Amino acid sequence: MIMRYLLPLLFSAGLCSGQFATPIASYDIKAILDTKTHTIAGSEVLTWVNDSPDTVPALQFHLYMNAFRNSQSTFFKESGGQLRGDKFKGDEWGWVKVNSMKIEGGADLTGAIKFIAPDDGNTEDRTVIEVTLPQPVKPHESLRIAIDFTTKTPMVFARTGFHGDFYLGGQWFPKIGVWETAGFRYSSRGAWNCHQFHANSEFFANFGDYRVELTVPSHMVVGATGEQVRRAENTLNNTTTYTFRQDSVTDFAWTVQPNYIREERMFAADQETTPEEIAAVAKLHNIPVQDVRLSDVKMIAMVQPEHREQIERHFTSLRTALKWFGLWYGHYPYKTITVVDPPYGAGGAGGMEYPTFITAGTSWRLPKRALTLEMVTVHEFGHQFWMQLVANNEFEESWLDEGFNTYSTGKVLDKAFGPSTLPVKLYDLDLWSFLKLPRFTQESVDRTAYLSGPVEDDLVRRSWEYYSSASYGLNSYMRTGVTLRTLEGLLGAGTMARVMRAYHQRWRFRHPTSRDFQKVVNEVSGRNMDWFFDQFVFGNRLLDYAVGSVSSVRQRTPMGAFEKDGSMNVVTRKDAEEIDVKNEGNKSFKQQYLCTVKIQRRGDAVAPVEAVIHFSDGSTEKRTWDGSYRWVKYTFLRNAAVDWVQIDPERKYQLDVSYANNGWQSKYNIALSTHWTGNFLFWFQNLLLWMTAIA
Amino acid sequence: MNPFHAIQGAMRRALSRKRMIGLYWLFHTLCAALAAVPLMGFIVPHLARSRYGEELLRQFDFMWITELLGITRDSPLTVSGAAAAAAACLAMLGSLFLAGGAVKLIVFEAVPYSPSEFWEGCGRCFWRLLRLMLYSLLFFGAVLLVDGLLNKGARKLWGEGMVEEPLVLALWFRQTLMVLLLGFVVTAMDFSKVRLVADDSRRSLRAAFGSVRFVWAHMRFFFPAWLVLGAIWLLGTWLYVQVSKRIDAVTMPSILFLIVLQQVYVVFRIALRMLSWGTAAEFEQALRPKPEEPAPVMAAVSTEPPSFEASEAEDFSI
Repeated sequence: MIMRYLLPLLFSAGLCSGQFATPIASYDIKAILDTKTHTIAGSEVLTWVNDSPDTVPALQFHLYMNAFRNSQSTFFKESGGQLRGDKFKGDEWGWVKVNSMKIEGGADLTGAIKFIAPDDGNTEDRTVIEVTLPQPVKPHESLRIAIDFTTKTPMVFARTGFHGDFYLGGQWFPKIGVWETAGFRYSSRGAWNCHQFHANSEFFANFGDYRVELTVPSHMVVGATGEQVRRAENTLNNTTTYTFRQDSVTDFAWTVQPNYIREERMFAADQETTPEEIAAVAKLHNIPVQDVRLSDVKMIAMVQPEHREQIERHFTSLRTALKWFGLWYGHYPYKTITVVDPPYGAGGAGGMEYPTFITAGTSWRLPKRALTLEMVTVHEFGHQFWMQLVANNEFEESWLDEGFNTYSTGKVLDKAFGPSTLPVKLYDLDLWSFLKLPRFTQESVDRTAYLSGPVEDDLVRRSWEYYSSASYGLNSYMRTGVTLRTLEGLLGAGTMARVMRAYHQRWRFRHPTSRDFQKVVNEVSGRNMDWFFDQFVFGNRLLDYAVGSVSSVRQRTPMGAFEKDGSMNVVTRKDAEEIDVKNEGNKSFKQQYLCTVKIQRRGDAVAPVEAVIHFSDGSTEKRTWDGSYRWVKYTFLRNAAVDWVQIDPERKYQLDVSYANNGWQSKYNIALSTHWTGNFLFWFQNLLLWMTAIA
Repeated sequence: MNPFHAIQGAMRRALSRKRMIGLYWLFHTLCAALAAVPLMGFIVPHLARSRYGEELLRQFDFMWITELLGITRDSPLTVSGAAAAAAACLAMLGSLFLAGGAVKLIVFEAVPYSPSEFWEGCGRCFWRLLRLMLYSLLFFGAVLLVDGLLNKGARKLWGEGMVEEPLVLALWFRQTLMVLLLGFVVTAMDFSKVRLVADDSRRSLRAAFGSVRFVWAHMRFFFPAWLVLGAIWLLGTWLYVQVSKRIDAVTMPSILFLIVLQQVYVVFRIALRMLSWGTAAEFEQALRPKPEEPAPVMAAVSTEPPSFEASEAEDFSI
């Protein structure tokens, strides 16, 4: 019999209550890890709340681990068995098998389980199941379902699995989809949102409270989402059971490995922030100081022994992220954050985010100025804000998490760590720093990547519908970063900061869409920015303004017939030339120039743009062009020639595909030509000398 | 002969051929210009009148490279790649050609430098040096093969190991071994050139294998000399990097100073090449057994007049 609970009215809004979210899908899981067979024997009790006004006749679940079941899964077909540079090797496949599914104290649903493939119809894909209920779930009722399952972990190459005695448990248990009632996100009618596991996609889930008992061999060091509330030794079989709890999260992940170095530090909020910083944020957002204050957080680092000397770099990265994400968007509401450093060979598990639990990645003797460790740690932590707290649908709108996080991470890294180098080493020598090669900011990295590929897609697409994996990556991460910086340029840094905080606060513990962000932008800025979203977010317009041509023509004495006092007066060519020569010798004569500046719109994006025209006498003209036609001409009659022209002088449009053609100067840059020609010559000379060493 | 004496002698030989070093520099510069100029053909119009150029001169930004590639739709890569390949071919053949003259004048120290002597050597030795270069690919290939096998072996041995450190240490070991082996092959091939020129021989294959054997057998001489030459190169490179790092090349005088410094470094590298040939020449002279001259035959002279037979009469006629 279906256990039904009439829920309090407060659930009906489906909004967060106080600091935490209303739990919709809560899990009580018991899992036993068998390290010999790499399997997990699990049982879970899912409490699912129908917080919609709909009557729900069936349930849908993700069985993510079945993506690694065989080469016919949608994930494998799309990825070709490799993801983010890691390749699936050997025959350690992964799967999850639902042994039984019962409504607690009621009907056995096991026989009603059927596999579905809502996205691509791939009948070999086993990553989504649907279970028709004997009795539908009525609005605002809840349901408790007991599921017994067995998970075989794969050899890690895409986020989850094992490598030697290292385990990363992600996407490891049967997880219910999200029921979307009409009006929720883009839904026009009640339906399950439960996508198959795709190569280029991450996840989407409701908030819930998690309680997980994890039994592992006693010699293992354990880390997981949330707080460890209990530890019990099982002397009979030499195992230990760890109990973790975390409310208001969307997922649960864990890791074990015997030789982790596990270190803890406290993020003491009052010591990490100054009163001035708090006051500045409060002033910017016009909110009380107490609303800005951060809370203390226990930071846990689980680091490989060979990276021992980098432990503090992990903590510094976490500290920095906790501080700036907290100050900018709102305090981190959980009590713990765990960062995991996967071992060599398990890089596929690195650089991943789960609630209160992230995986980073580094290398042995990483140079200090190569900030890859800091970058990945801050980025994965950033997902606590963009994905976990503001829980958008990663399947459908990855820019809202990956891209927003790229933007935020870049700002934190540039502010706290400054420009970075690349980890290029000769033996243990940091070659990049030794040769004093240029360092780069995250802002520059994002724009470099954005310019590296053609725009083949709109920014927002379902993750498996991008032209290619590269296009997914480019759009979801770097192009979004550049787009948001462009938006910041247009709105101003202060307004953008207010937009981001308002969006975060409004959608914390909720599930926003791109349109929700657009609404916040328009509302907070007080401007209609729909043109921006239409072209650059929901479209793929190319932005390229350029200085077309510049001329400064010296005004000569006019020649020909001119009417004067009723009669025709002819100024001959010779007369005019004589006057010009005379004027040239006259220091008090002010020579006039007809200055013409043409500005072109070479891309198909139309956006208002500013141009500054500077003259050789030091005077300046500013113009704003709406960009409606393909070009515009500005003409000036001045006593000086044009010295330089600069379009978009404040670099508001980072989306502009060429900075070089935005500016023009009358002075030929001989220094640049000489310098670079000399450099190229030198590099080629050396290259040839190396090559001809065998000649 | 100890290695320092050899290098001292090599310096004497190289320094007496300054014009040759100049010629080498000119040749490499022209080849490099062949590759550099087309590239600048894209860059100069793109930036020379752009205000962005000033910015990049002060602080180079990698995003400009992707911007350029995006706008010009990869054409700089295609054109510059083709130009660089042409320059590389030209440099390779030209270097082989010039090596003939250079090695000749380094080996035969007593021969005064003259263009005719130099070009005679270039023309005379070109084909034998070309053959030698092709044979040397066998040895370079063997070194690469050793490296590949070691890499494969290390990875296989390490299997699914969970620690990076041993693999990095193995890489460092491999890199060191590679440097030593490549150094050995380059030294042996330099010696082969000297040997071919000194013997005025065309037997490139024999010279290649013989030199490898000889250098291996005399490692106690060659290896320290090679180490000293390597140390000189490292010192020169370190000096160049340290000085060039301190030049803020944004004004014309500082840019010109940097260019001069760069060219001094290039000349230094060319001189080092001459020095390595000179060292090989010193060792060749000191260590390589010379074919013995036939001893005069002492025979009793008969007082009797020889009897003239047909065959002996032919001998006399020679």
